[in-house]
Amino acid sequence: MSAILEVSDISKSFGGIQAVNGASFTLDHPGIYGLIGPNGAGKTTMFDIICGRQVPDAGKVLFHSSRVDGVEPYKLSRQGLARTFQECRVLPEETCLDNVLFAAQSKRMTSEMLQVFTRNTKHRRDAEVEARRLLRLINLEQYADQPASDLSYGQRRLLEIVSCFMSKPRILLLDEPASGINPTLLNTLRDFLVELYEETKIVFLIVEHNMEFIMSLASTIIVMHQGRVLMQGAPEQVQADESVIDAYLG
Amino acid sequence: MKLSLSTIVTIVILAFGALAPFIFGGQPYILYVLTLALCYTIPAIGVNILYGYTGLVSLGHMGFAGVGAYTTALLMKDVGLPFVPSLFGGMFAAGFLGFLVGIPCLRLRSHYFIIVTLAVGMILFTLFNNLDGLTGGAEGLPGIPRPGNIEIGSFVLDFRSLTGFYVLTFIIAALTFGLQYILVRSDFGRSLSSLRQDESLAAARGVNVFGHKLAAFVLSTAIAGVGGAMKVLFLRAAAPLSFDMNESINLMMMLILGGAGYLVGPVIGAITFIALPEFLRVAAEMRLIFFGFVLLILARFAPRGICGAAEVAYRKLANKEANVVRYT
Repeated sequence: MSAILEVSDISKSFGGIQAVNGASFTLDHPGIYGLIGPNGAGKTTMFDIICGRQVPDAGKVLFHSSRVDGVEPYKLSRQGLARTFQECRVLPEETCLDNVLFAAQSKRMTSEMLQVFTRNTKHRRDAEVEARRLLRLINLEQYADQPASDLSYGQRRLLEIVSCFMSKPRILLLDEPASGINPTLLNTLRDFLVELYEETKIVFLIVEHNMEFIMSLASTIIVMHQGRVLMQGAPEQVQADESVIDAYLG
Repeated sequence: MKLSLSTIVTIVILAFGALAPFIFGGQPYILYVLTLALCYTIPAIGVNILYGYTGLVSLGHMGFAGVGAYTTALLMKDVGLPFVPSLFGGMFAAGFLGFLVGIPCLRLRSHYFIIVTLAVGMILFTLFNNLDGLTGGAEGLPGIPRPGNIEIGSFVLDFRSLTGFYVLTFIIAALTFGLQYILVRSDFGRSLSSLRQDESLAAARGVNVFGHKLAAFVLSTAIAGVGGAMKVLFLRAAAPLSFDMNESINLMMMLILGGAGYLVGPVIGAITFIALPEFLRVAAEMRLIFFGFVLLILARFAPRGICGAAEVAYRKLANKEANVVRYT
């Protein structure tokens, strides 16, 4: 069986700075994967390359055996790759419900044009039921009809993540989901991610600095250091590895 | 059934527009001003789709309106085509030019795009002003025929009369408004709105940023072409100065004045922008100063235009969430 996501010998430099230097890893089965490393390790660049925001100088990214490096983000999204951003991003003027529904809507212009007259169709009503269920899971159902800009930062972060699930992704990439979230909401987020993983059984790839959060959540940890993959293994193995302790965990 | 503020305002404006020939039947000057305002309402709706919903600023839009205007005028005057195919010809010409301009320019970042639209508007003005054999040059194109009569049984609507032309312009403006209404409530409208709010997020959710921007730009320029055509048919002459940079900036100001991103924003903006200076003619020297002050006050206290101010007031009065926002 082919890997779900395969990253091979990726290199990327910005001017004289080598952000990623021949990094490779494989996500070959569904699971929650953590991508960790010190600042400047190349995690965000790697993340951007996988999501199509950056084109690698060398190497390739295969998603279900299809080469996707350099593919535009909207095309990747349509292939089933959903992502969140390091700085939380929602549509501030839309209600929470519309934010979630927007992720479910087909963005192909031809189908959008055909649906010009079909705003309140059965499809939208079905999607709304699912959207409200997801909002309930993160305790945001009572804010469903309020603009997303009214939410706190942590709530917006949860809304951003929950929106990703509406597009029924095949792989979900979360960029520092725990940053800026208070401990109570963090527990909600952890429970929510575990619940949705059990339900969807897809790949979650999470870039995270909160070690307690990621080690308790992920089944596999990938450690990056100086643009390379230092190690890939179970959280216990990673936490016990001398080279990882030296480079990152201290 | 509970009506939202935007629905109430829309109904009031449509009713007022439909009844205007009866209300102002004996006052041709008022009807003239209203017709002119409607001629500007149409391209302002186009700019609303582009700026108010998609977040793209165009400072050369009246250039595209000019393309629609001259094409329609030439088709009616020189080719002898009837009004409807000529109008469609003008609309397609403006939209096609929008397509050609949009392909290279819409990949530019916001301020570069604004500068390019300004340049395109100036190039088009120069062409209108200098292609003497085609556009009549600086002297313009006089004697553009108005559409013929419509006879339904014993009822005859003469579009050459002021009242008849007002009705025609009102119908076309109402159809354009209807198109805007349908569009912004659709999935396509939601995708455009997402581009204005966060382009990176929209792309990550599957929106083809360039494709959607191009579609919005083409649509917007085609609508501007219709507005330009109605303007020259109304004035019965096409002149380059009707489509210069000042006119493009005026169009943008109309939208900002009325409220960008509101369905009725372009309507209210165009009527206020055209009608207010006309009614201030009694103090001819002071009217531009007065108008400037009105704009300053609005910019300071109602940055989202008249519609935005009305929304805030409505919320305060009703002490609840107003339903005026966009496609809700």
